[in-house]
Formats: sequence, C-alpha cells, structure tokens
Amino acid sequence: MLDELLAPKYLGWLIEGFGVTLLLSALVSVAATVLGLGLCLARVAQSPLWSWPARAWLSVFRNTPLLVQLFFWYFGASALMPEKLLIWLNTPHVWDLKLFGVRWPSFEYIAGFFGLTLYTAAFIAEEFRSGVRGVPAGQIAAAQALGFTPLQVWLNVVMPQAFRISLPPLLGQYMNAVKNSSLTMAIGLAELSYASRQVETETFKTFQAFGIATTLYILTIIVIELAGQWLQRRKPAPGASH
Amino acid sequence: MDFSVVANNFSYFMLGAWPNGPLGGAALTLVLSVVSAIASGVLGLVFGVALAMTRGAAHSVLLMGLGFFRAIPVIMLIFWTYFLLPILFGIDVPGTGTVVVALSLIGGSYLAHSVHAGIASLPPGQWQAAAALGLSRGQALRLVILPQALPIMVPSFINQWVALIKDTSLAYVIGVGELSFVATQVSNREMVYPTEIFLFVALVYYVFCSTLELCANRVAKRFGTAAG
Repeated sequence: MLDELLAPKYLGWLIEGFGVTLLLSALVSVAATVLGLGLCLARVAQSPLWSWPARAWLSVFRNTPLLVQLFFWYFGASALMPEKLLIWLNTPHVWDLKLFGVRWPSFEYIAGFFGLTLYTAAFIAEEFRSGVRGVPAGQIAAAQALGFTPLQVWLNVVMPQAFRISLPPLLGQYMNAVKNSSLTMAIGLAELSYASRQVETETFKTFQAFGIATTLYILTIIVIELAGQWLQRRKPAPGASH
Repeated sequence: MDFSVVANNFSYFMLGAWPNGPLGGAALTLVLSVVSAIASGVLGLVFGVALAMTRGAAHSVLLMGLGFFRAIPVIMLIFWTYFLLPILFGIDVPGTGTVVVALSLIGGSYLAHSVHAGIASLPPGQWQAAAALGLSRGQALRLVILPQALPIMVPSFINQWVALIKDTSLAYVIGVGELSFVATQVSNREMVYPTEIFLFVALVYYVFCSTLELCANRVAKRFGTAAG
C-alpha cells in the first residue's frame, strides 16, 4: 500500500531521518536536563558570582533565535577553533566499545547537538526554578530546624518536590527539543524535516513526503504526552492527590 | 575580531536592498513580527473564546485542531503553507505571506489555550451575575468576562510574541530575505568573518526580544498593582 504512495527507497530516507531526529532529541534532552539543573542551581545561588553569569546565560540564550545560535556554532565557532581541533572533529574516529563500534558523528551533528543543548538547557533551568519556588519556604525552615545541612536540605527536601512540580513543563521542553531539532536541517543535518524536503524535491510527491514526516512528529509528541500522563499518575505532584 | 564586515554591510543588514529593491533585513524581521503578532493575537482570542464557549464534540474537534499546530515543528508548517496556499487560493503567494500565515496559526494555537485559561480562571459567579442582569452570553463575554480576563493574559501574549520574533528567523528556509537570511548571504559572500556576523545578528534579535520583555514586565507590574 505504501509502495504506491512512495518508493521504498524514499520511505527509507524518511525513516533514517526520523532516527536521527529521535536520537538527537533524546541526547539533547538528557544533556540539557543535567546542564539546566546546574544553571538553575547557579541562578538561585545566594552569591552574585554564581547568579549573575547564570542570569546572563538565560537572558542571552532565551532571547535569540535558535537558528542564529546554530549558525553561530556551525559557521562562527568553527572559524574561531584552532585548525588542529577542527581537523580532528571533522575526521571520523571509531570507538570500539566491545559490543559495537560508535561512529564519530559529523561536524553538523556535533554543532547541532551542542547548539540545541545550550538553548534547551536555558529553558529547562527556568522550569526547574519555578519548581524550586513551588516548594513552600516552611519546609526548608523545618528541615534546617531538624539539623539538616544545606546540601541535605537540597537533596532530600527541595529537589524531590521541585522535580515533581516541574515534570509537566519539563516534558513540554522535551517536546520542544523534538520540534526544534528540525532547525538543524539549516546546517545540513539529515534529520526528518531535511529528509522530507529531499524526498519532495526528488519525487514531487509533496503530500506523501510532508504528510509522513508530519505524522511521525505528531506520533512522537503523543508518545511523550502519554508517557507524561503515565508518570503523573504514578507520582502525582505534591498536593495533587489529596 | 574584526567588525568592519558588519559596518560595511550595515544598511544591508538593517534594510536589505531597500530603497533600490524589496525591504529586507532587520526591518523585514520587524514587519513579519508585528503582522504575525497581531494576526496570532486575533486568532488566539477567537479560538480561545470558542474553546470557552463550546462543549462536547465541537470542543474536542477544536482541541484536536489546535493540538495539531502545537505538535508540529514550525518548519514543517512553513513547508505545508508554502505548498498548500497557492493550491487553495489559486494565486502565487509571496514567501512573506506564507511565513505570516504559518507563524500566526502556531502563535494563535498557543494563545488560544492562554485565553481559555484566562476566561476559566474567573469565578463562575461572574457569568451567573451577568445572566441575572439579563445579559446574553455574548454580552456577558464582551462586557463582563473579557475586560477582567484580558489583563491576566498579558504575560502569556508577550511570551508568545517573543517566541514569534525568534521564529521569524525560520523564514530563512523558504528564502525570505529577513535578518537571518541576509546574514547567511553576507557570510557566504565574504567567507571570512562568520563569527562577527552571527554575533551581531544575535545582538539585534536580543535587542528586539529583550525590549519587548522589558515592556512586558512594566505592563505586568502596572496590572499587578491595579489588581491588588
């Protein structure tokens, strides 16, 4: 049935592009969550030595287009890099990890991953921050009164609750990561949008090419949405169940 | 760092080929942003009110339609409008029009939910009191509900509009000569100073977005004190 719509070769392009989109957005989501947590901690720190750089980061990365940031990392940063590093980044390396070899990603992939991660982290940090603000101050005072050290207060009282409060907006950011990964097509990464455009140019079957790509994006978003609902049922936000 | 490349092409960055050719660069970015902001605001208001006033099947259909625009990447929607608009209207739609339609639909879909949430946040007693005074549902909405709900929505509108300014850069993919497109043009022609060019372009966007954000904070403060 699908054969009549699109030759298997082109279907293969789209599936391959979809794979790139999924892997890239998964890697970005993990890295941006870790980085975003660090940024959030720096932003809420008492010392201006931490909070001001974090403020500047958040402001700059949230208030400039992702496309321009990607161009900057792809074209701009490579112009600043020492030639040796650039050559090393551009030559394929293979890491032999016993079971399977990991292929060194293309420079487009590295720049895309880097740019998307820094951008997404700035948004995730703000979601964490509103989660932290959602923890009542009385709880922190109570923990301190019980003799918790500042680190213990963070790890045992603030973080678990903040994480649960910020789970829904966090999932929204992961959805954005999937959608934003489409911008890497502008620096030549062959992800799903790029593939759909390629297929369209070669076959002139615009409906099929864009239709399949659009459906795959929507399916991914629905899966994340359902995963979120499932997680919410298992671990409801504090106060939501009572 | 050598910013002479920016100085030499400054007018091209700001205005494109204008006045000898079509308007482009930062000026076109602003035009695209303002037109899409107005259109997305109107769409958001219409669909948000529709969400608040409908029940059952119509409500579900509306939710699904809005969900579609929120689930697909802006680039995919630009591809679709680029392809479908000429078929639908049987005329050649310029790239700028395509981008405005795509951005307005996406912005409007996000804003519809904010408008709906703003209306839903008012106590139901407001509707009942308006009905008791003999107002129709439409009158109640126009005279009682929206004047109270709109100030609550201001922050979401501003956030959405900041996102919109950034999204105008995606007009690049169909070759509309706004700021990002012009930047890559200059970068490809000069070949030597991509770092300086993209830093400068980022700065221009930063000024646009943070100015809007700054205004928003002031407005939010004023409404905050007015309400409290």
